[in-house]
Amino acid sequence: MGLQGTRLATFAALLLTGTAALLGAALLLGSGGLDADLIATLRAPRVVAAAGVGALLALSGLAMQVLLRNPLADPYVMGTSGGASVGALLALLSGVSLWIGAAGGALLAGVMLLALARSALAASDDASARLILTGAMLASVAGALATLLLTLTPDERLRGAIFWLVGDLSGAQHGWVCLLGALAFALTLLARRRSVDRLMLGSEAAALLGEPVRRLRYELLVAASLAAGLAVATAGAIGFVGLVVPQLLRLTGVQRTRELAWMSPVGGAALLVAADLAARIVVAPMELPVGAVMALIGAPLFIGFLMRSGR
Amino acid sequence: MNRPLMETRSLTLGAAGRTLLRDLSWQARGGERWCVIGRNAVGKSTLLRALAGLSVPRREGTVSWLGRSQAEWAPADAAALRAFAPQQSNDRFPIAVQRLLELAACVPGGSDPWALLRALDATHLAERDVMQLSGGERQRVALAQCAAQGAPLMLLDEPVAFQDPAHQRQVARWLLTLTERCLVFSAHDVNWIAGVATHVLALHGDGGWEAGPVATMLDAERLEAVYGCRWRQADGAWLIVE
Repeated sequence: MGLQGTRLATFAALLLTGTAALLGAALLLGSGGLDADLIATLRAPRVVAAAGVGALLALSGLAMQVLLRNPLADPYVMGTSGGASVGALLALLSGVSLWIGAAGGALLAGVMLLALARSALAASDDASARLILTGAMLASVAGALATLLLTLTPDERLRGAIFWLVGDLSGAQHGWVCLLGALAFALTLLARRRSVDRLMLGSEAAALLGEPVRRLRYELLVAASLAAGLAVATAGAIGFVGLVVPQLLRLTGVQRTRELAWMSPVGGAALLVAADLAARIVVAPMELPVGAVMALIGAPLFIGFLMRSGR
Repeated sequence: MNRPLMETRSLTLGAAGRTLLRDLSWQARGGERWCVIGRNAVGKSTLLRALAGLSVPRREGTVSWLGRSQAEWAPADAAALRAFAPQQSNDRFPIAVQRLLELAACVPGGSDPWALLRALDATHLAERDVMQLSGGERQRVALAQCAAQGAPLMLLDEPVAFQDPAHQRQVARWLLTLTERCLVFSAHDVNWIAGVATHVLALHGDGGWEAGPVATMLDAERLEAVYGCRWRQADGAWLIVE
């Protein structure tokens, strides 16, 4: 039985308080101490970016899981973030806007995944493994392309390989754009909450209940890709937030889109702010790339979820 | 005679280079309970899917609901007219049974979910997650889900495939209470069919078919033609002759 009534309200309150506490800690802690100027000009933009990117990635993961009917889907694991990296690099090299490149790359990777996974999705048998492997291969192709682009064009305008391959929040800007994007995405999901809940029953089951399945899936694909693109343009290809957050919420007993649509971005923001805080203070004054920290948290959890789902 | 809820004209179905059903022209009305019989892989599920308007490998001819061809129905209108319970549910996300029935409702004030759960001995499952149910429990929930949709035409693919004898009887009793609806289901247990169905549609496997009231369709010769083994009746029950 899922969380309901007072237990759900309690959990929601805990989630919100925990996130607020983390945001406060992230603003106040770190090298340099409690300098007001430092907090306003350096830490605040970074915390906002971490929160925005985390929220976007969690929503992107949630939408991809519904779209692909696979609780293990995530924009990083399925190659969408990698596609965004390649698109962004190509855009920077050819002088096009970074945002357009990242969004276009993510969308293209998403469409390719859907096309390749078409038969797996259509089959009534359990094709989860095939889908995940297809996504993993797309992700590795995107990683290879990004590496090639970086090697062939040693351009100092480009950020380093770490940014494009695992993600990094140092120097991240325009975090508020991500927050607004996440808000729009969450509202989009909430407006379709009954349809999204029905889609989770299966595309055929949803179609039998009168849902415009094809249109819904395109909307989810576009939203998930744009969110991944925006996140990658801001902080590079950070992984596993989209997998870990909705999955943990489900394990807690949150089952409905009504709650998942806002708890996922809040949880995603909290997780990435926490990971970034850890990245900043664990070996201070040195900084770790937050993407590496996330991968260290996310990959073992992914394996755990995978083994659990196989039972 | 009331107007047919569903009608097929020259419906031909095929799969893997083989014709499963040829030129089915057939009608089903409210209050009728049709059982589709035939050996394994004869195309019972394919037929039910085609009747529900779902994709099948190959089909020709038309299926109409209330006199209008399936393709002309808007998805939301179709949802209020026909419901379909597949043989097996393929759950990927946790969801409570109660919530599943809520999501399934398509006709306002259509069916009372608690009455359905009671009738199907599933009240105790209301708060459980569908992914933790046994095969038989999950199937009874799927039947409740199908009825909760509120549609007058219900298509059920082997509704008692995973039920123990007591629950087979319970499902049968429940089906008998749905007197307003038009039911089309597939099943294998001839005695169960004899107690539930008003009509039988027999598929012969070579594309041939035969339809009629249960009393005329369930006889030793016809059953032998369908199943390829000999039958006799003893104390009102059908038995296979060894």
